[in-house]
Amino acid sequence: MAGEHLERLETLHDQISGFIYPNEIELHWGLLVVLYPYITGLVAGAFILASLEKVFKVKEVEPTYRLSLLTALAFLLVAPLPLLAHLGHPERSFEIFLTPHFKSAMAMFGFVYAWYLMLVLLLEIWFEYRADLVRWSQRERGPRKLLHWLITLGSRDLSPEAVAFDQKAVHAITLIGIPSAFLLHGYVGFIFGSVKANPWWSSVLMPIVFLFSAIVSGISLVLIIYYVATLVRRETPDMACLDKLASFLLYALIVDLSLELLDFIHRLYESEESIGILSELIVSKLFISLTIVQIIIGTVGPLLLLTFSRFSQLPPELKRVAYFIAALLVQVGIFSTRWNVVIGGQLFSKSLRGLTVYKPELAGIEGLFTSIGLMILPFVILYVLVKVLPPWPQAAAPTAPPPD
Amino acid sequence: MKLWGIADQVVRLAILLAIVGGVTVALRARFVPPSFGETGHYRAEAVTIAAELPVRYAGSEICAECHDDQEELRRRSYHRGLSCEVCHGAAAAHAEDFEAQQPLVPRARGEACLACHEYLPSRPTGFPQIIERLHNPLEPCVGCHDPHDPTPPEVPSSCAACHAQIERTKAVSHHLALTCETCHEAAPEHRIEPRSHLPNKPTAREACGRCHAEGADSGAEIPRVDLDTHGPRYLCWQCHYPHHPEA
Repeated sequence: MAGEHLERLETLHDQISGFIYPNEIELHWGLLVVLYPYITGLVAGAFILASLEKVFKVKEVEPTYRLSLLTALAFLLVAPLPLLAHLGHPERSFEIFLTPHFKSAMAMFGFVYAWYLMLVLLLEIWFEYRADLVRWSQRERGPRKLLHWLITLGSRDLSPEAVAFDQKAVHAITLIGIPSAFLLHGYVGFIFGSVKANPWWSSVLMPIVFLFSAIVSGISLVLIIYYVATLVRRETPDMACLDKLASFLLYALIVDLSLELLDFIHRLYESEESIGILSELIVSKLFISLTIVQIIIGTVGPLLLLTFSRFSQLPPELKRVAYFIAALLVQVGIFSTRWNVVIGGQLFSKSLRGLTVYKPELAGIEGLFTSIGLMILPFVILYVLVKVLPPWPQAAAPTAPPPD
Repeated sequence: MKLWGIADQVVRLAILLAIVGGVTVALRARFVPPSFGETGHYRAEAVTIAAELPVRYAGSEICAECHDDQEELRRRSYHRGLSCEVCHGAAAAHAEDFEAQQPLVPRARGEACLACHEYLPSRPTGFPQIIERLHNPLEPCVGCHDPHDPTPPEVPSSCAACHAQIERTKAVSHHLALTCETCHEAAPEHRIEPRSHLPNKPTAREACGRCHAEGADSGAEIPRVDLDTHGPRYLCWQCHYPHHPEA
């Protein structure tokens, strides 16, 4: 084991440039820690998209409302898993609830997460689905009936007042949910932005930049899932909805790009002592993942594609494909944004005089296969959720109360 | 189910929430140690438990009572900052009854000395460091150095005796033909008390300019720069590593 480790260090050693301290050769936060902000970003973004319909009354995106909520839930359930896998000893994670440490930002994650999961997302989904769950359980038989009945918690009142109360509750929870979603992902940005010893991370803009990239990634994820789901269900996607999603994606992308540029220009203008090594980092180790993937493929490409397809007279079939491709590119771009933040911040020495290199492992708990597994898992959970709580408009039971 | 006019849904959710809250409180009562948080974010008892552990280290003052000759030597040497038990191991039992325990006497090569003196780039410049496989191989450290006064018995004849790493780096660079004195001035006392008489480094760009300035009287194959325009705010060695300028 020690021999293997030394061999690995030796191969890394050949790729170090300049001077770095011995404990900086190997990165401590690898691929799994890249996944964590990526996934929480998708959760926050999907939820904010859902809130557009409820709070801002954007009627066009209604077909994606329930789907967004379920997507947010599926990804939220997976969000802490990369961290647990990275740290080892998952059983200890409950200790942060038993003995809360209010001065540690990382220890507070459990509370931010629990608040968002239990008091925002699950509650909103419960109120949104309750009437339908009652109706489904009335019609169904066997385990599905039991399951749907259990989820209602026995609350079977379908009177117009009760249903109206559900809708009011959904509205109120969404109102609380928006700042909560901001808190969830702003928090992740805060964790990085508050590391004052690391000039690549330390920036007050970090939570804001994270938030807007989260919105971008969430909207594009829901667009992808909605588009694929309609294809699988052999339906025609609601074009007004897709157009609206594409518009919001475009606007969010513009704001996100502007914020990133602002951060970049601010750093250049401030030109602190770290600027030399950071410039070297950008043009050497991060050239492909930052300039090529994040900026050109993941931001400028989709910006042009969305602008062109949204405001041109393309046939709807072609438009949909263009939106889909743009959304996929956005996902690639946002993943590399997370990569560039997490990995980029550890590639340069604290001496500001040298750079190291990161090579993800293939197998093993921190490896590529674990990450791929963790990225597939939310889709499996989403599949189960969609089976249990169908989000399609046709699945919703008729709103009139059943005859006595 | 409506209680005090509160909607049925809210009552049911409140019951569920109360159950979750109750379970959390029960778990806290079961798993959080009673003394947790009394003196900080840890188990206060842990301090008492640690204090009750048997004392294993005696401290160097008591050693001097019997081993005053070694103590006298050590006190005047570069190892004056070290405590006896750093090398000889925990010896409280030996201090109590000198026959009860024989302290460690590390004599083999690399047994104790290398923990501090193996070459590591992050150690401070001037701190005596060796590369074990290159520094008098197979010879035990105590063969030449008395650990209580580790200054080498013979004054090193060349800089490479202590600065072997730099010497080897320079040997594979274009600067191999330059002697250390070309750039550094070192007082003869530096060889005896290295840190009390530090050698100097070039403080002017002209030092490198003697060979590298345009119009310098040096071989045609030596790279030239215009000293007025090439990074004028910096000394050459702030960007170029003179012991291996190609790196």
